[in-house]
Amino acid sequence: MVPLPFRIKVKNAESGATVEMELENDNTIDEVIESAATFWNKEMGAYVVRKGKKVLRGTMALADAGVREDDMLELVPDPEGG
Amino acid sequence: MIRPFDFDGDRFDRSRRIDWLDVNAISQTKVLMVGAGALGNEAGKNLALSGFRNITVVDMDTVAVSNLSRCLFFRESDAADERFKAELVADGINGLAGGRSARAVTAPIEEAASDLFRGSDVVLGCLDNVLARTHVNGQSYRAGKLYVDGGMEGLTGRVMVVRPPDGACLQCGMNKSHAKVASLRFSCTGVETVFHEPRLAAEITTTSVLAAIMVREIAKHTSGRDDLMLSNMLYYDGKQNRMEELEISRNPDCLVHHN
Ligand SMILES: [Zn+2]
Repeated sequence: MVPLPFRIKVKNAESGATVEMELENDNTIDEVIESAATFWNKEMGAYVVRKGKKVLRGTMALADAGVREDDMLELVPDPEGG
Repeated sequence: MIRPFDFDGDRFDRSRRIDWLDVNAISQTKVLMVGAGALGNEAGKNLALSGFRNITVVDMDTVAVSNLSRCLFFRESDAADERFKAELVADGINGLAGGRSARAVTAPIEEAASDLFRGSDVVLGCLDNVLARTHVNGQSYRAGKLYVDGGMEGLTGRVMVVRPPDGACLQCGMNKSHAKVASLRFSCTGVETVFHEPRLAAEITTTSVLAAIMVREIAKHTSGRDDLMLSNMLYYDGKQNRMEELEISRNPDCLVHHN
């Protein structure tokens, strides 16, 4: 069976900007983070993705992480400095 | 001995008016603070003024002039004299606390004895890179000690609380982007491994907020009020005045929980 693509929105926590992403169920959260970070030129930092209050695990497939069509995820910085 | 209406003769009179705060327990708690940079300075000040009196400060770095905008215990002459950050923060704590409350360790935390973790009650992470955080997270977890970690860049930051043996650890919340950042810090010349220190945006007000939250979480734990603590992660954005608690679930594949 060919997986059907679906769309979600990802919000940039720092700027408030959003981007629409077309994904498949077996894409992972790591891939969402990498795509969004690249889109906003944030390749040098660490980030997490949240849905509501929950931080989603990087290795999880979208379907397993409970991500559905039209969901809004947020890219949140996990800053390294001290 | 007390005298009637003599409320100002006790350094901690105002703290004792917070009914759940256990000032005596705070004075006896052994704190291991790893990192004596901007967060370490602010956290050290908060520890001293909160009444913590048994603090070990670990940092191998010396002061740079660029530290001076965020570090209350450093002076310009300390950069010229290449003074150790850990010694200056320990001295600063002792100055505020009025006694020998803090001691400095100027070795890399990776080389410090694991006794340092076992001999502490709580661990405070004021670090500036992912690899050191991963190390301290693992060591604290294995020693069964509460670990409170802070991180920041610009006006954003986060505080993470790790409570072994329950819940998620710092590494449970990490992903490929953390591994990438960690790998960017090191390069191999063929002769030696070189660490590239990131020069991240930073300013003192965000540092102050995060260090205050970190020390307050430790004070809650020490006072037996874990019910008031963060469940695990707090995200802070000073530019937009956002502060929000997020949830990281335990990763069954996280290596920290399998050793
Ligand atoms: Zn873990």
